[in-house]
Order: sequence, then C-alpha cells, then structure tokens
Amino acid sequence: MAATLRPYLNAVRSTLTAAMCLENFSSQVVERHNKPEVEVRSSKELLLTPVSVSRNEREKVLIEGSINSLRISIAIKQADEIEKILCHKFTRFMMLRADNFFILRRKPVEGYDISFLITNFHTEQMLKHKLVDFIIQFMEEIDKEISEMKLSVNARARIVAEEFLKRF
Amino acid sequence: MANRLPACVIDPGTGYCKLGFAGNTEPQYIIPSAIAIKESAKVGDQASRRLGKGVEDLDFFIGDEAIDKPNYACKYPIRHGIVEDWDLMERFLEQSIFKYLRAEPEDHYFLLTEPPLNTPENREYLAEIMFESFNVPGLYIAVQAVLALAASWTSRQQAERSLTGVVVDSGDGVTHVIPVAEGYVIGSCIKHIPIAGRDITYFIQQLLREREPGIPPEQSLETAKAIKERWGYICPDIAKEFTKYDTDPSKWIKKFDGVNSITKQKFSVDVAYERFLGPEIFFHPEFSNPDFTTPISETVDNVIQNCPIDVRRPLYKNIVLSGGSTMFRDFGRKLKRDVQRIVDNRLKLSEQLSGGKLKPKPIETQVITHHMQRYAVWFGGSMLASTPEFYTASHTKSDYDEIGPSICRHNPVFGAMA
Amino acid sequence: MILLEIKNRIIEETLLNKFEVAQAGGKPDGIDIKVADFDGVLYHVSNPDQNKLKLMVSVSLKFYKELEEHGADELLQREYGSYLTTPESNYSVTLLIDLENVPTNKEEVAAKVALLKRNCFASVFERYFKYQENEVTSKKRAIINYREDETMYVSASKDRVTVIFSTVFKDNDDVIIGKVFMQEFKEGRKASHTSPQVLFSHREPPRELQGSDARTGDNIGYITFVLEPRHTNAGARDNTINLIHTFRDYLHYHIKCSKAYIHSRMRFRTSEFLKILNRAHPEDPNQKDKKKTTVTGRTFVQQ
Repeated sequence: MAATLRPYLNAVRSTLTAAMCLENFSSQVVERHNKPEVEVRSSKELLLTPVSVSRNEREKVLIEGSINSLRISIAIKQADEIEKILCHKFTRFMMLRADNFFILRRKPVEGYDISFLITNFHTEQMLKHKLVDFIIQFMEEIDKEISEMKLSVNARARIVAEEFLKRF
Repeated sequence: MANRLPACVIDPGTGYCKLGFAGNTEPQYIIPSAIAIKESAKVGDQASRRLGKGVEDLDFFIGDEAIDKPNYACKYPIRHGIVEDWDLMERFLEQSIFKYLRAEPEDHYFLLTEPPLNTPENREYLAEIMFESFNVPGLYIAVQAVLALAASWTSRQQAERSLTGVVVDSGDGVTHVIPVAEGYVIGSCIKHIPIAGRDITYFIQQLLREREPGIPPEQSLETAKAIKERWGYICPDIAKEFTKYDTDPSKWIKKFDGVNSITKQKFSVDVAYERFLGPEIFFHPEFSNPDFTTPISETVDNVIQNCPIDVRRPLYKNIVLSGGSTMFRDFGRKLKRDVQRIVDNRLKLSEQLSGGKLKPKPIETQVITHHMQRYAVWFGGSMLASTPEFYTASHTKSDYDEIGPSICRHNPVFGAMA
Repeated sequence: MILLEIKNRIIEETLLNKFEVAQAGGKPDGIDIKVADFDGVLYHVSNPDQNKLKLMVSVSLKFYKELEEHGADELLQREYGSYLTTPESNYSVTLLIDLENVPTNKEEVAAKVALLKRNCFASVFERYFKYQENEVTSKKRAIINYREDETMYVSASKDRVTVIFSTVFKDNDDVIIGKVFMQEFKEGRKASHTSPQVLFSHREPPRELQGSDARTGDNIGYITFVLEPRHTNAGARDNTINLIHTFRDYLHYHIKCSKAYIHSRMRFRTSEFLKILNRAHPEDPNQKDKKKTTVTGRTFVQQ
C-alpha cells in the first residue's frame, strides 16, 4: 500500500502546482465585484476542466481550477466505521475553525471530506510552493492521525475493560 | 416535566468553581478551579507531552485534591474568568460531573456561567465540549452579572424584579462594576477596581503587624483573614468611630484567640480599629494603594453616567451586590449614602446653573443586599434553572446537531427574567 | 480516575459535616437540598417539620417498585435498621437521623447512608445469588427498568447467574465507540482469569431474551455477564454487586472520556496544521519589526 502513496502525492503536487496559476479577475456580471469563479461558475470559459487524482476508490483528490481561484477536495481513507466517525469528527472540528485556516472551505464539496479554496489573493499574499506543501503534508498526516486515534481508542477500550474485569 | 431531574449549575470562576444542582440555595461544592496533571519531562511542546498512548489522561485530580499533590503539576485552566486551556477545562468538567456531582450528563440540562465580555468563540468551544463529549440534552450559557441580578430578586417584590441594574461584584482578586440593561451587559461601560478581598486581608495584616507582635509570622495572613471575616464591618464615619472605640473600648475591642501551629502555644490578639479600617479601603483606597484613589461609590456613579441616558435612573435604583467581599455589615448602606450624595450634589449644581429655572426630579438610588450575596451568581443560576422557562430557553442537542455550535453564541434572556 | 466511586460524595460530606457540628455542640443550620445521582436517582436531605435536630435523607428510585418485589425492604431493614422510617411522599426510602445523639462511628454511618442507592440495587442481586447458591433455578427473570429506556435482566440457574443490561446510545457516533468498548469487554477475559464471561450483542437482544418485549434498534446494545459461583459466593458477593451495578455508568463515562481525549488530540493536530500553513506567509508578522543584528551588533540595511 505504502508503495502507491509516493506517486499519488507526487501527482497531486504537480497538478496543484500547475493549477496555482491564478490572476486577479473582476466579475463579468456585476461591476466592481470580484468573486472566486470556481464557486460562482458564472461563465464556462473561465473554468478549467477539473482533474481528479485517485489512489484507489476511497482516496482521491479533485482539483478544480478557474481563472482566479482553485478548489481542492480531498476524500480521506476510511477503512471502517470507527475511522469514518473519527474522520468526520476531525474534519468538522477543523472546519469550525476555518477562520484561522484562510484557505479552508467551511463545507466540503459533495462526495469529499474536506475542501480548500485558494484564490488569487491567497497566492499573492502567501508563498505558492508552501501552500502546496501544506496540502501535501495535510494529506500525509491526516491518514496517520486518524489511524493513530483509532489505535488509541482501541487501547483505551482494552485498558478500561481489563481494569473493570480485573476487579471481579 | 414533573419527573425531570434537576439541572446542573456550574459557575467556574478564576479561583473557585461552584458546582451544584438547580433548586438548592447553596452550591454543593465550592472547589478551587485547579487541576493536577502528570507531565512527563520529555521535550516537545505542551500539548504533545500530554497525549499519552493509554489512559494517562484519566490520571488527574481537581479541586482540593489537586492542591499540593506530589509529582503532579497543578494548573489553573481559567484566567481572569476566561477559559484559557480547553484541554484541561474539558477534563476538569469530566471529573466535576462524574466524581463530584455524580450526574449522568445525558439526563441533566446544564447551566454554565461566563464572565461579561466573553468571546462568542469561547461559547462555541464550550458548547462543543458539552454537546459532543458529554451529550448533554440542553445547555444554557448565562452571564454572571445577569445571574447576580436575578439572585437579588429574593429580597424584592414581584413587581420590582427587573434585569436592569448595576452589579458590584467583589471576590478575592478583583472588583467589577457591571451595568446591565434589560438582561444585556453594557460592555463598554464596565469598570474594574483593583481592590478586593485579598487587599483587605493584606491591609489588616499590615495593621496588625505594626501593633501585635504575638502573631507567628507564618500565620499572620490566616489570622488577618479570620478577623476580616468574623468582625469586619463598614462604619458611617471614621473619625466618630475612632472616638467610639476610645471612649468605650470594652464594648468594641474584640479578642482573637489562636494557636501557633508549630509550638502549639496559644496567642491572643486584640482586634480594634482593623475591624472597620480594613473594609474601609473600598471607600478610601488611598489607605492601601497609593496609585488608585477613586472610591467605589464614585466608580459606580461614573459607570452609570457613561451608560445611555434612558437607563441611568433604573440603574441608580438597582445597585446589586455580589461576591464574598461585599458581605461586610453596612456595606450597602454606606454605598447607597455616598452614591446618593454624589447624585444629589450634581442635581443641585444643575439647578444652580440654570438659575433656579430647572427643578430636576430627584434621582432615587437603592443598593440591594440579600442573604445569597456570597454565591449570588450560582444562586441566581440555580433559581433560573429550576423554572420551566429555562428548558425552553436552553439550546437543545437536536438544535446543536442540526445547526452546529454557532447556536450557543447567543443565549436569550428568558421569560422569568422579563 | 478509572473506576467510578460507589458512594454519593455529596450525601457523605453533608452528613459528616452535620455530625461534626452537632458533636461540637453547635447549633445546626436548617437544610433542604435535593441532589441527583446516576440512573435517575434523586436524594432529598431535609429537616422533618422544621426540626433542625433531626435529619431526613430520602431517596427516590423510579424502579423501586420492581426492586421491592425482590426483597429490597428486607435488605434495607438489615442495613439501616432503626434509621428507617416511613417514606416521604414521592420518595422510595427515607432514613431518619437524630443529631442529638450522634452515633459514635459517625464516619461509618455517613458512608453507609451514602451507599443507599447501591444497597437498593443490591437486593435483586442478593436474592438471585442466593437462588443460585441453593441451586434453585429461578422461575422468573427479574426485570428492572433502571432507566427510562434501559433495562436490566437477572436470572439464576444452578451454576450461574446471568445479568443482562440493555443500554441506549443517544448519539450515533457513540454507538460505534461503544461497540469498540464492548468488543474489548468481551475479550477482556483473557487478561484476567477470575473475571466473568461477558457477551454482547448489538441491535438484537441475546437469545435468552428472545420472545420477550426487549427492544431492538440501531442504537441499542445488550451486554451479558455470566456470573459463576466464585463471583456469587458470600465472600465475593459485595464486591461483585459494587462493580456490576455501576457497569452502565462506567461504560458511558469512558465513552465520554474517550471523546474528550479525541478532542484534545484534534486540538493539538489542528494547531500543528495551522503552524504549517502559517509557514506559507512570506514574513512572520512577529519578526517583521524586529531588527536583525549580527553578533557584533551591526545591522544590514536592505537597499
């Protein structure tokens, strides 16, 4: 399994780096408005074809580009029920703190667990390659964290059960 | 509804946390807001050190048990009334509920208190803990000052119960003067006074040190505290009070008997002027603190004058005391007299300036004292949480699951209050 | 704290305090408090007829009627004897304590009163443990609706006493965490040879209860404890009762603690992610105004 992780992340990294080419773009519909086109979808010619990179059925990334913004949605590995709720809890926890995360979208795109929205303003203020680094690191660590949490919950349950039964 | 279990009321303060069930007149526990945890000395930042692999996070103590626990680090998760460390707070609540209150949180509604000017984010964090970790069926987050106002209703007629008033809240560390209009705190007008219970104790300790050599030095603070609590009172006029003591010392001077904790020898202390001089520093702060000279009555007046003009009269009419350091005899009476004096002088001045053409309607001031002053906040919470309206005003778990923690940003003032 | 305490702390401390005041010859203050305990139990401590020298401790259990069928009264009579009095209205059991002659063993009495809930529960266990001891197969299964929608079933046969708990998980996520815990309870026997056999089933009641009106549903779990004679003999009996009657609260307490633990992990990880993201800012805002100097104290000026 681990053998496929590297190429998967590399593919995401290159796709993201390429998609990071954003420029300021004023709305074509409303004067003096400036909106992320990938969200408002006002005109077809401003959108790029979405790219999906997938490692397997459950783990995939959707990268939607547009002239001034880009949206990255990640589906996180969930092997069983407990990983599912942990993942759900974690992504919700982060999204509640989206204010601090600048690029985090408050709701994931349908079919995915967590989405980021990067606009040209972000890329102007922040270092693009570091943003890419962040996304990649996030993908690496979230899997690790979820499986670690699962192990801890199991370990706790074992200790708790043994502690109780030992007293009999 | 008749069979519903009582709500849990938790008032977490900087120093002490008050816990209990709604409907009672006193909190069941008053414990230090302290938590003792084991921290391994490994490098790495705080959070990573705390996360163990097993159930290390259950190995901690709270309250009195946390103080001076060997091999544990004692922490205070609340600073200046505001929760700073949510990890510790979550665990603190865990043990307060399961070990002290012995309540299954799924069965009880909860009323928690917050200081005025708490941030909405903090309310969300609290809601997240209560609803997600503990599955509480309902939660209401009340502002401490508003509860203190509600607590003062016990001594009043039904018709006079209002949620507009000034709360003078004095605990051990700091004193606040908080104006509340219709149940909402006027945040911009809150004032803090750097004089509270601890300062009075220090002041008495200092007075005693000069006169009574018999007190063992390591016990002087406790002695001062005991004297303050037992015999402290507020006098109407210091000069007269001095003569009163001088003419009839036997009537006024008390004797404090103590035992030296090390040598077990008895010692006794004559308690004289300290009785009224200690609490007097509220009205004459220059006695103990050269940097701060505004008497409490002037601060109260200033606060009210800063408030919108249409609430000033009701505010003067309802000055409510809360906290242990307002328990001195005649504290309320003197505060009322001094505030009234300031107000009357101002009216007189405006009458003079108008050349007698304006006859302003006199302003009535009233200071409310009642029996529940010491735990006023908790008692107010207990009272409100035992009304049926509480259950309709609380945010329920189903609302939370539907909308999210943002519902707890706003906690409406409810029926019984209006 | 891993195991929950069995005594009610509030009751114990209140009583001790009252005893001490009374012993020191002080004038006792009036009291009127109502406190709750696990499983919907409600205590009421008060002075009967405003008499401050008498103390009344009442307890209300919603399922007391069911316990009465299994000999709760006799057990309480044995434990509390002369303290028992006619129950206050709306309460199940009332104890009356005279503060004018404080018992010499005041700690013991306070502790005993604080165990009131436990002792009410104990009756049904003791009865069935005795059935088993006398090798009588109980005709009927004891059914105790110890919470609104949760039930406990006890039955005895020649060589075992079976205790089945049904428990409801209010939150959907709890069902899953609860399943992990119950799985471990099932396997916990490997760690300790003296422990009873534990079985669990999710959604459906176990075979013993089939045909009864036991509820089914996604958020319901059934846990079966098979207690053998080594748990039910006179020596081990008290310990077994202490443990088993807190089982439900123990399970739910730890599910909640696990969620608190998950929360602290998430808080930590989220702040780590935030640090990584903040690296993307070209300048650390804290460093911006700071002058950078060399060892000798000289500074570079950017042209």
